[in-house]
Amino acid sequence: MRAEGVPLPRAGAARTPFTRRRLIVAAVVLAAALAAWALDASLVGLVPQAGGLELVRDFFARALRPAWSYEGEAPAGAAPLWVAALVAARRTLVFAVAGMSLALVFGAVLGFLGSRAWWEHEPAGGESRLARFLRRSVAPAVWSATRVVIVGMRSVHELLWAVLFLAAFGLNNVAAVVALSIPYGGTLAKVFSEMIDEAPRDAAQALRAAGARDLQVFAVGLVPRALPDMCAYAFYRFECAVRSSAILGFFGFPTLGYSISQAFENLHYGEVWTYLYALCALVIGIELWSGALRRRFVA
Amino acid sequence: MNASLARLHRERPRSRLVRLSLALLAALVVWAWCSGEFDFRPLGDPARREHLAQFVTVEVVPYPLRGAEFSWPALGAWAGALWREHGAEALVATLSIAVLAISLAGLGALLLAPFAARTLATVHPFEQACLAQQGHAGRRRAWQALNALVRAGLIFLRAIPEYVWAFLLLAMLGPSAWPAVLALAIHNAGILGKLGAETIENLERKPLAALTGLGARRAQLWFAAVLPLSLSRFLLYFFYRFETCVREATVLGMLGVVSLGYWIQDARAKLFYDEMLFFVTLGAAIVLLGDLVSTVARALLRRA
Repeated sequence: MRAEGVPLPRAGAARTPFTRRRLIVAAVVLAAALAAWALDASLVGLVPQAGGLELVRDFFARALRPAWSYEGEAPAGAAPLWVAALVAARRTLVFAVAGMSLALVFGAVLGFLGSRAWWEHEPAGGESRLARFLRRSVAPAVWSATRVVIVGMRSVHELLWAVLFLAAFGLNNVAAVVALSIPYGGTLAKVFSEMIDEAPRDAAQALRAAGARDLQVFAVGLVPRALPDMCAYAFYRFECAVRSSAILGFFGFPTLGYSISQAFENLHYGEVWTYLYALCALVIGIELWSGALRRRFVA
Repeated sequence: MNASLARLHRERPRSRLVRLSLALLAALVVWAWCSGEFDFRPLGDPARREHLAQFVTVEVVPYPLRGAEFSWPALGAWAGALWREHGAEALVATLSIAVLAISLAGLGALLLAPFAARTLATVHPFEQACLAQQGHAGRRRAWQALNALVRAGLIFLRAIPEYVWAFLLLAMLGPSAWPAVLALAIHNAGILGKLGAETIENLERKPLAALTGLGARRAQLWFAAVLPLSLSRFLLYFFYRFETCVREATVLGMLGVVSLGYWIQDARAKLFYDEMLFFVTLGAAIVLLGDLVSTVARALLRRA
């Protein structure tokens, strides 16, 4: 699965002084040793418990023989297994798309409010007292408040948001979508604002010199320079959202994760693989689409 | 003036793929919201609303503060008791799981990446394609097979979600910290291995090919040239995945490993929503800590 979409390091990265890099590597090794000590993770814990190895062997033995029909008792009136897998995959996609569409709204609004460029304004001529008050005191306050909101949204995992909403609203698919959209919206907002701030300012400066108003400069001069990167990143997050949406199922929502955990608990490993392959097909399909689009955007 | 503007507009670069995709995406969004999966009626249901009001005004309020005046000492005592009872231990456990997992993942990826990089895992490392066709056919095929095998292995490692790995390892090893550590390590080794291989493939070929031309052996090439050249980029990816690991380590506890997620799930099962919120907040705090460590480390790496 793709894991790029991370802002790539600049060319200077290869010239990092070796001493500092060695220090970081040493710190990582030390931290790992400390962590192993803190967890009391003795190697004895790696010895499989009774029946453990057989279970893993049985599980992987079914990898090439996924189930085509229910193992064991088929639930009364249930659709065939492949239909069930398709339905779960469809739900996974529906949750991801709905969550992403909300996240994009959050991301766009908060991303613009959280970008420095949105608030930056070099007054060309005279400035009214009100305008100066807004620029000097309101703008930094709104900017900081937006950053705090973004950090808050991002720092709680979507599954934890889902658990909170489950407690507050009861089991409801809308809760899952909102839970998905909050950390995704926060991450989109963070990355969007950084992309807008890092976009080349040449067009914006030219427009400003030609007398364009602030909003025009921002909308025509600045945002279009960042838009390809933003689209590419949003699409990468869409891939992630599909995976997250499937995993929400492990906590009771009717996506692929639910089917997987149910089959797993019933020891129906063939069914687990059927659902896993459905998930893989979905993710790979979106990755291919996303990859083709990103090449177009970035090139 | 207008005519030339119109021409510029008409001849602007357009991509059919992008337009089709945008239309398809818009259709997908409409389809998703209209699919019938989302029932907004319960949100307006009076009983549910009452439940929500009860949840927000009573249940998430820390226990000693319910129906009483707000006081910092009472809140502090409540939080302190929770912190001493489970919080501190769970926090250390979560962070340790993340650190140990990403370190193992990094180690695994370092071992696998050279064999997954198409430019390195051939008979003539970093040579142009035409030269790669020469040489002993058997050795050539052996390298090809090894390369394909490792690449397929990495795809396999990262294609299976860490939750499935955790389920499987919990059933295999029994309850300890290892299932969470190994689940995260396996999944992330797949991701870091792929990113590491890409990093190696993106290195400039000619200087490295020159080294082989001078008689450098594969191990020398790896330790003296490829590893030092790609380590910085590799560490950037390492810290980027570390952030994700901290997030997932919290949540994996909900499957029964003793990290913060375990206590979140425990509090939820007991309907102690105030305690649940406390542990969720602790989780947010260590995510912030992880992000901070990662940001500082990456800034140190970037600044040449």
